[in-house]
Amino acid sequence: MNKKIKTYYLLTAFTIFMFGFSYMLVPIYEVFCEITGLNGKTGSINSTLVIEKPVERFVRVQFTSNVINSAPFKFSPGKKEMVIQPGKIYTTFYTLTNQSNQPLLATANPSITPGKYAEYFKKIECFCFTHQQINANETKELAVQFIVDKKLPSEATSLVLAYTMFDITKQLGYKLEK
Amino acid sequence: MRNFIVFLLSTIPTLALGDWEVNLPRGVTPTSVLAYDLHMLIFYITVIIGIGVFGVMFYSIIHHRKSKGVVPANFHENTKIEIVWTVIPFLILVGMAIPATQALILMEDTSEAEVTLKVTGYQWMWKYEYLEDNVSFLSRIDSESNKARKLNSGVDVSNVKNYLLEVDNPIVLPVNAKIRLLLTAGDVIHAWWVPELGGKKDAVPGFVNEMWFNINKPGIYRGQCAELCGKDHAFMPIVVKAVSKAEYEKWVMNQQNNNKIANKK
Amino acid sequence: MNTDADHLHEDHKTGIMRWITTTNHKDIGTLYLFLSLTMFFVGGAMALIIRAELFQPGLQLVNPDFFNQMTTMHALIMIFGALMPALVGLANWQIPLMIGAPDMALPRLNNWSFWILPFALGMLGSTLFFEGGAPAAGWTLYPPLVLQGGDALPYAIFSIHLLGLSSILGAINIIATILNMRAPGMTLMKMPMFVWTWLITAFLLIAVMPVLAGAVTMLLTDRFFGTSFFTASGGGDPVMFQHIFWFFGHPEVYILILPAFGVISTIIPTFSRKKLFGYDSMVYATASIALLSFIVWAHHMFTVGMPLAGEIFFMMTTMLIAVPTGVKVFNWIATMWKGSMTFETPMLFSLAFIVLFTIGGFSGLMMAITPVDFQYHDTYFIVAHFHYVLVPGSVFAVIAAVYFWLPKWTGKMYDETLGKTHFWLTTIFVNITFFPQHFVGLAGMPRRIPDYAVQFTDFNAISTIGSFGFGIAQILFLYILYKTLKQDVTADNKVWEGAEGLEWTLPSPPPYHSFEEPPKVE
Repeated sequence: MNKKIKTYYLLTAFTIFMFGFSYMLVPIYEVFCEITGLNGKTGSINSTLVIEKPVERFVRVQFTSNVINSAPFKFSPGKKEMVIQPGKIYTTFYTLTNQSNQPLLATANPSITPGKYAEYFKKIECFCFTHQQINANETKELAVQFIVDKKLPSEATSLVLAYTMFDITKQLGYKLEK
Repeated sequence: MRNFIVFLLSTIPTLALGDWEVNLPRGVTPTSVLAYDLHMLIFYITVIIGIGVFGVMFYSIIHHRKSKGVVPANFHENTKIEIVWTVIPFLILVGMAIPATQALILMEDTSEAEVTLKVTGYQWMWKYEYLEDNVSFLSRIDSESNKARKLNSGVDVSNVKNYLLEVDNPIVLPVNAKIRLLLTAGDVIHAWWVPELGGKKDAVPGFVNEMWFNINKPGIYRGQCAELCGKDHAFMPIVVKAVSKAEYEKWVMNQQNNNKIANKK
Repeated sequence: MNTDADHLHEDHKTGIMRWITTTNHKDIGTLYLFLSLTMFFVGGAMALIIRAELFQPGLQLVNPDFFNQMTTMHALIMIFGALMPALVGLANWQIPLMIGAPDMALPRLNNWSFWILPFALGMLGSTLFFEGGAPAAGWTLYPPLVLQGGDALPYAIFSIHLLGLSSILGAINIIATILNMRAPGMTLMKMPMFVWTWLITAFLLIAVMPVLAGAVTMLLTDRFFGTSFFTASGGGDPVMFQHIFWFFGHPEVYILILPAFGVISTIIPTFSRKKLFGYDSMVYATASIALLSFIVWAHHMFTVGMPLAGEIFFMMTTMLIAVPTGVKVFNWIATMWKGSMTFETPMLFSLAFIVLFTIGGFSGLMMAITPVDFQYHDTYFIVAHFHYVLVPGSVFAVIAAVYFWLPKWTGKMYDETLGKTHFWLTTIFVNITFFPQHFVGLAGMPRRIPDYAVQFTDFNAISTIGSFGFGIAQILFLYILYKTLKQDVTADNKVWEGAEGLEWTLPSPPPYHSFEEPPKVE
C-alpha cells in the first residue's frame, strides 16, 4: 500500500509542477521572441549605438497604424515613410485624436516587420505601453525617437513600424472597481 | 476492403489531372507552383509507399488465412529488417525535407518588394492600404451574395454569380511585380488566403505578419478568410484583380482622386 | 481462483447506489464506457447538424453562430466526452485483468475520477442553453475571439478544468496500478502492449492536462481579472495562447491514438494466431512517438508567422514522427505475415484501422511539409486528415476492443453476422463521409464555415449522405450490444482461439475481484 501512495504523491507533485510550468511558458516565450524576433517587439537601447560617422547605406522605414475594435480614435503616422541611415537618431511622431465626447485611456503596442530585424530597431523615446489619457476631442502628437543599429544585416533594405492603438478605458475601469 | 482500395486507386488519375475541383490549384505565382509541385511529389511518394505496404498486407490477408489451412509461422523478431524499415523511411524523409526547406527559404524572403499592400482583417471585412500610393479602401462581401446567404433567404444560390466569392471593392495588383502583404487585424485573428496566389498567413491584432507573391498571369483570383473569426467568418471573401502595370498605374490614379473626395475610414 | 469471489465481498450495494459508490474497476470501466457511448451519440448528433447544414450551399437550417457552437461542442464532446472516457474505460476494465491485479491501485480515487465527468460534461452541455449560446470559437479556444464569448466562457473553462482533473486522476491511478500491482514475474518488458501504451499515455496525460488547465486559466483571468497574457495592449500576445494550447494539444492527439495502437497490437496477433512481431521495437516506437509529441506542436500553426528557423525545425521534427509510426504499421503487417488469419469483427475493424489510419498518416505527412501546409492549413483537407486518424483510427480501435473483450466482460457472445454487417456499413460510410473532404479541402474550402461557394456542392452532398449512413450504422451497434446483453451466458473463458494473456485465464464474466491471489507469470 505504501508504495502505491508514494507513486500517487510523486505523480501529484509532477502534475502541480506541470501546471506551474504552463505559467513558466510565458517568460520562456518572451525570451524566445526576443531571440528570434517572433512577434516583432522592438529591441532595447544601449549607449554604444550612436556612432560618429553613420554608415553610408540607406534603409527605408515605413510607418503605419491600427486601431483595435473600432475604438473612437483617429490614429495615424505623421510621416508615412523615412529614408534613414543606421547609427543615426531620428525623430518622428504619430497623431492621436479622441473622436468621442468623453476622456479615454489609450495604449499602443509596436511591431516591426520583418520580425527578424526587430532587435536592430531601438526606440529611445516611445509612447508604447504607456497609458495615455486623452480627453474628449483632444488631439495629441506622440513622439517616437529611434535608432537603427548599424549591425542591421545588409540584406535588410526596408522596415515597417506599426503601432496598434487600444482603448483600455473599460479594461482598467473594471480593474479599479475591483 | 478490397473494393475500397480499388476505389482509392481509381481516384489517382483524377487527382493527377490537377483539376480545380479535386486538387490544389497550380496557381499563378512562383510560390503557389512550388507548393503544388511539392504537394504532388509527396502525394506520389505516399501513393507508392501505400501501394507497397497495403499490397503486402492484402497479399497476406488473401494467402495467410486459416480457411486455406495455413499453419502459423513462429517468427516474431528480426533485428535486421527492423533496422531496414527504420532507416529507409528516414532516408525518404530526408529526401523530402531538402526541397521543402528550399521552398520555405524562398517563401520567407519578402525583401525588395515593388508594392506593399497592408491588409487589415475586421469582423467581417478587409481593409486594404497601398502604403506607397496612399490608397485605401474597405472590401466586403458583395450585396447579392450577402442577401442570398441569409438563413432561409429563399434565393437559389446557384443563380448568384460567384456566390460568397464576390466583393464590392476588389484589390487591384500589377502582374510580374513582387507584392508584399503586411497583415494585421483590428479585432480577432483572421487569415488571408487566395489559393491561386499560394499560401495563407494569419492577421493577428497588435502584430504585423508578412508574405509575398508575384502574379505571372492577369486574371481574377478569389479566396476567403481562413481563420475562424466569429459568426460571419464564411462571409469575408477576397478578390484580387491582376492587371498589367499600365492598367494598375491608371487604377491607382483613379483611386487617389476618389480618395480625395471620399473620407477614408 | 476460479471460485466466485463475490461471496467474500457481500458488502457491495445494489441498484443505483452500487454505481455511485462503486470502487470496483469493472463497474467503473462499465460506467466510463456507457458514458462514452452516450456522448458518442450526443457528439454525433451535433456532427449531423453540421453535415445537414452543409448538404447544400446557402443557409437552410441553422444560423452561423449556432453552427460555430456546434463545431466547437462537437469537438469538445467527442474528445473529452466520448474518446477519452472510452479509452479510460478500456484501461479500467483491462489493465487489472491483464497484469493480474485484483483491482486498480487507488479505487476510491477511481470513483472520483469517473463521477467528476458527468457533471463536467453536463456543465459544458448546459452552456448551449445560455443566452448567447455555447462557446463558438472552436475547441481550440483561440483568443481574442473566444474572449468575445458571453457567459458561457467561464462555465466552459471550469468544465475543462474538471475534465482535465478527471483525466489526471485517472492517469495517476493507471500509472500507480501498472507500476505497483503487476503479478509476480511480469516484468515491464513482459507486459501486454495495451498496458504499455496506456502507461505511456498516462504519463502524457499528467504532463499536458495541467498545461491546458494553465492556458484556460490564463484566458479566464484575461477575460475577468484584467491580466493580459494574450492581449497585445498589456504586452501579451494572442499567438502565445496557440503555442501553449498546442503544447498540450499535440500530445493530446497521441493520448487519443496510443491506447488505440495498444488495442490493435492485441487483436492482430490474436486473429493471426501468431505472436506480435517486434514487441521491443513496438515499445520503443510508442515511447519515441510520445517524446516527439512534445517538440512538434507548432505544426498546428505554421501560418501564424514564425521565424524561418522555427518553421524548418517543426517541419523536420514532425516528419520524424513518420518513422516510429511506420515501424508500428510494418510490425503489424509482419505479425499477419504467414499467420493463420480469421476475420471476426474485431479483426475486421483492426484491419480497417491499419489501412485508414495509414491514409490519415499519409495526409499528416503531406501537411508536415510547411510550404505546402500554407495551402492546406485550416481547410477541409485538415478536417479529412484528423477525422481519418480519429474515426477509423481511435473510434474503430475502441469498437474493435469492445467486440473483442465484450464476451470476456459479460460472458455473452455478440452476433457475428450482425457484427460484420456493422463493420461493413461503418467502414463504407466513414469513407463516403470523410474521403470527399480531402477534395473540397484541396480545392479551397476553408473549415469551420456554415456555407460555401457552389463549386464545393457535390462533394459536400456526398459527405453528408455518408455521415447519416455512418450515424444509422451506429444504431445497429446499439442493437448488437442490446441483443448481446439480453441473452444468457454463452461465451467460453477463452472465446478467441489465438488469444493470449491473463484475462483469458479467468472465467467469463470474470469474478467481482479478478485475481484474489496473484497469478504467476513465468
